[in-house]
Amino acid sequence: MKRPSVTSSAIPLITAMIAVAAVLLPIFLADTPWPVGARDYLQENGFGDSGAINLVSAIYLGYRAFDTLGETIVLLVAVGGTIGILTRSGAILAEGYTNPDTVAGIDSSEEEIPSFSLAREKRKSHALRTHLLEVVTAILGPIVLLFGFYVMLYGHLSPGGGFQGGVVVASGIVFLGLGNRMESSTKLTQAAVLGRIEAAAFLLLILASISGILLGKGFFGNPLSRFTAVPEGFIIMLNAIIGLKVGAGIGFMCIAILGRER
Amino acid sequence: MSLEDMVFLPVVLPLLGAALALCAKVFLTGRASRILEYTGVFIGLGLPWLFFVYITPMMYAGQAVSGVIGAWHTGVGIMYRFDGLAYLVNILGFSVAAAAWVYALGAGPKGPSFSSVFLIQTASLAAAIMTADLFNLFVCLEVLGIASYVLIASSDKPGAALASFSYLMVSATAMVFFLLGLYGLYRLTGVLSYEGIASALNQLPDAGGPVALVSLSLIVAAVAMRVAVMPLYGWLPDAHALAPHAISAVLSGVLIKTPLFALSRVLMLMPAGASAGQLMGYAGAVTALAAVVIALSQKDAKRLLAYHSISQIGYIVSAWGAAIQVGTTTGAGVVLMAAAFMHAFYHALFKGLLFLSIGTTVDRAGERNVYVLRGAGRILRAHGERFPVTLICFLIGALSISAIPPLNGYASKAAISYALKGTPHYYLLFAASIGTVASFIKLSRIFWPTPKGSAAVLDDVPAAIPWPIHLSQIFLGLLCVIGGLAAPALFAFVLRLISAGGADVAISLKFYSSGTMIKTLIITASGVLLFLGAITPKGSALLKRVRERRRDFEGLFVSFALGTAALAGWLLL
Repeated sequence: MKRPSVTSSAIPLITAMIAVAAVLLPIFLADTPWPVGARDYLQENGFGDSGAINLVSAIYLGYRAFDTLGETIVLLVAVGGTIGILTRSGAILAEGYTNPDTVAGIDSSEEEIPSFSLAREKRKSHALRTHLLEVVTAILGPIVLLFGFYVMLYGHLSPGGGFQGGVVVASGIVFLGLGNRMESSTKLTQAAVLGRIEAAAFLLLILASISGILLGKGFFGNPLSRFTAVPEGFIIMLNAIIGLKVGAGIGFMCIAILGRER
Repeated sequence: MSLEDMVFLPVVLPLLGAALALCAKVFLTGRASRILEYTGVFIGLGLPWLFFVYITPMMYAGQAVSGVIGAWHTGVGIMYRFDGLAYLVNILGFSVAAAAWVYALGAGPKGPSFSSVFLIQTASLAAAIMTADLFNLFVCLEVLGIASYVLIASSDKPGAALASFSYLMVSATAMVFFLLGLYGLYRLTGVLSYEGIASALNQLPDAGGPVALVSLSLIVAAVAMRVAVMPLYGWLPDAHALAPHAISAVLSGVLIKTPLFALSRVLMLMPAGASAGQLMGYAGAVTALAAVVIALSQKDAKRLLAYHSISQIGYIVSAWGAAIQVGTTTGAGVVLMAAAFMHAFYHALFKGLLFLSIGTTVDRAGERNVYVLRGAGRILRAHGERFPVTLICFLIGALSISAIPPLNGYASKAAISYALKGTPHYYLLFAASIGTVASFIKLSRIFWPTPKGSAAVLDDVPAAIPWPIHLSQIFLGLLCVIGGLAAPALFAFVLRLISAGGADVAISLKFYSSGTMIKTLIITASGVLLFLGAITPKGSALLKRVRERRRDFEGLFVSFALGTAALAGWLLL
């Protein structure tokens, strides 16, 4: 089959680029004064409403917590979908293991099985693993985990929060997973455990969002305001739940990509 | 529980069900896991019906529930509005979703992961139609999108992952432009709620000028991509044809319509909305005709159905665009919008039914090519179908989409042509109806009996078709028939809900008059003639060229960019 020449496929693309640029130009050239309504409102009432010094967390876990629920779900489904695709390609890889040609990685080039891992990584022993890596990651892992929980729980006071803290927790989990291989002293690197934490955190998040309804505070209302006058409790609670969910989800995905679970 | 809390039940209950299904997957195994999963699905897809029944009288009286989520200050919180339109779209979504989930129980994919993603998708549909906040609409569309990419990729058909990927890429690109449009409007107005943006724009000199217009065109184009209006339809045929059958039914039935009706809330308020609606209406009418020509040329049974989804959404968009153009506060606008919803609802039912019955058939036959597959009725009988349920369901669907009375497609197309009478759209849709008849004659040929003995001999006794498949098909088939017979009453109900219980709109539409019958006869006869023309050598050669026209990945982005630019140019000039 004849491939279209470079110019014939470039012309529509260049036209498209020019069209997009022309459409976007007025938005970036706009010289109207910046709106100040929301800014002034947040400056005056943000802390009083939510109890969060970090007004960013007041917005995403207070005023617009429903959006955050949606974004959390996007992450949940994305992780689930990735795991699904990995599992299927993993099954194809597992078939490859039984075939000596594939392990050698030379003769099978004609019928290359589509997979997400590089050919060198298909070997059973990981030649690139060194003692240095194992010792350093094993020492750093718990510290990174601790820092992750700090970022998660202090999100209402300082930059950070559930999403950021969760990602740090996930990198701690990856460190633990890279480190102690055989003499594992943690269950945090087991995909099954991480999956359970993620599912439980998601259930807790949904329950937290509807607990306001049951306690007469409305959907995504602060359920704790019946028991205490301190408003930031709800933000801390949501940060902790989201952090656990994000940490477990991303950690789960990384562990699956590392291929630790067989 | 107050009414303000209750309107969130169609969002919260599926999410709760999804969480339970996910827990069923990781904490339990075997029977206990299945029980928890089914409980979650019942909570998510069954319990919302109690709410719908409860709220019907209030909706009929024209009541709308609106407010800010979490009872925050209006300028910073998320506004929502649950009104007649949201109620109707929810009914559409939950009826097809229930049927599709039951079908998946028999035909796959199944399991707790599937159920949880499916429930999340349903929840995001309910959230998208009731939100009145532009950023929240973005989030809802993202959740909707990611759930559907995963569901499409869950098929084991070769190419499904690729179809899902190109859908993901083009729709993620469109959502970036949606965000840029959102930024443009926020830059001008400083608020995110639909009403806030509209009232702030009206106070600006020249209603925001070019910035407001290009921002609106970016948002409309991104949603039009999801709705698959021409020229932004390129991702749909692969995605809908390669997804598992149950997912195809939901994608075609529900997913391409909810963003459209959610967008109507924005356009009805915006200063330039009427003009954007007008262009969308034209695009819809052209889509209806162009897509049916491509559909007629297809040889893959499910791809043929997918192109028909584009064609039928064209009908909906043309009536919908005309409704936005004249404004839904006017009597004509209400009739147009009601006709658009009626066809959206009925299309969801009969297209869902068609996808399920064709899916059952091609799975049993192991052949999807409509030029090769014959004698499908015999194959189904060999699979233990004594009474030809699937065949009858397919016929109900095919006759519905071809607008044969008294089935539901006839009623909603009659409503659309009544509402659009005298416009250019009317003639384009008339021509599209002829093409629809012709291409369904072509598809029906898979059931044409073959001479005895020539059918493929099956080696062993095949497994019987599981009961959930039949149950869901019969459910949708019955709804199609009832929808057709009860169309006058239902149309009056929809009119009342769309007009928010206001003064009864005077309509002189007779669903079963001699004039409409003659029109149906003309369309059917022309359809038969067109089909006979299409199987002549010349016709086949022409269709082959249409089928094998060049389609590529870059084309998706080029058409999106040019479509957006055309819309922006239309609004500016």
